[in-house]
Amino acid sequence: MILGVTTVHELSMTTQIVESVLEEAKKQGAKKVTEVHLVIGKMTFLGTEQVRFSYKILVEDTIMKGSKLIIEEKDGVIECSSCGYKGTVPITDDPAYHIPIPTLRCPKCAKAAKIVEGKECTIMSIRMVK
Amino acid sequence: MTNTKEIVKGEEVTLEIEPGMNILEVNKQLAEKNMELLRKHNIKAIDIMGSIGAGKTSLIEKLVQALKKRYRIAVFKGDLTTTIDADRIGQHGVQVLTINTGRECHLDANVVARAVERISLKDIDLLIIENVGNLICPAEFPLGTDKRVVVVSVTEGPYMVVKHPFTFMNADVMVINKKDLAEIMKIDTKQLEKQVKEIKPDVKVAVTNALTGEGVEELIKALEL
Repeated sequence: MILGVTTVHELSMTTQIVESVLEEAKKQGAKKVTEVHLVIGKMTFLGTEQVRFSYKILVEDTIMKGSKLIIEEKDGVIECSSCGYKGTVPITDDPAYHIPIPTLRCPKCAKAAKIVEGKECTIMSIRMVK
Repeated sequence: MTNTKEIVKGEEVTLEIEPGMNILEVNKQLAEKNMELLRKHNIKAIDIMGSIGAGKTSLIEKLVQALKKRYRIAVFKGDLTTTIDADRIGQHGVQVLTINTGRECHLDANVVARAVERISLKDIDLLIIENVGNLICPAEFPLGTDKRVVVVSVTEGPYMVVKHPFTFMNADVMVINKKDLAEIMKIDTKQLEKQVKEIKPDVKVAVTNALTGEGVEELIKALEL
């Protein structure tokens, strides 16, 4: 048995964003969408450049053409269920790799913490002309 | 409830709405539904992620061989095209369903939900899902499984863990495969283990050779099966 779906990561996510905005605009009876404000968490795998690129292509031939896309990036926040610590994702800076590596190790008690913020891709607001 | 603000400037009416709609949340909710349905049928589910060529299919073959007497197993096999891997797994006498994604770089909860509809849930108690060969994108999309496994192999080089911290943050178990080649590749598997535990302290690690089956018992233990 074979099932089929199509497209790639940022493109499919941006397609969903554009479709959702168009649906809202239709509901409101808008003539044109002028601005879309997104929040993308830094703990997602979404590249903002690729989202912008896909957006530009996807809005062609729609009432969103020429609209301003604002992308606000949101830091990751972790919470530790063992000691209650809540804060930004700690970074371990191992000189061996020359790159800072994010970690889920709780900076207070060293146990495993969970990501509670930074995994979102949210349409915060849409500006449109009626 | 969506907030709406209407601004009138001359003849033009600008409307600002705040849907606060989280696109990734849609997948998460579908994943929770999948999990609920599988749990209702007492089915354990495992999502196996990892790069192309890491050894995911070989590992599943060995898992199926070791577990098929204790569990009634179904395997979902995500691939861009072809049923080559599904045929490999199918020869071990378990039910295999191929999910061809076309160009999509990952499986998502929706396509898994559609696949789940196609199998008889009362006839299985273990579902193994092999994700599309890709170390990055699948981690973004939980499918509703009990455990998420990331398979890496020593031939991928010494930096695959530190270069992909976000992938490993989403893993419950990491498999380091092709252990027989570690020495030739000059890879210290202990070092990889240390790195992944630095990123995710509660991750379990199994070091395997999927061709011989070495380390597969360790993996089964890590998966609590």
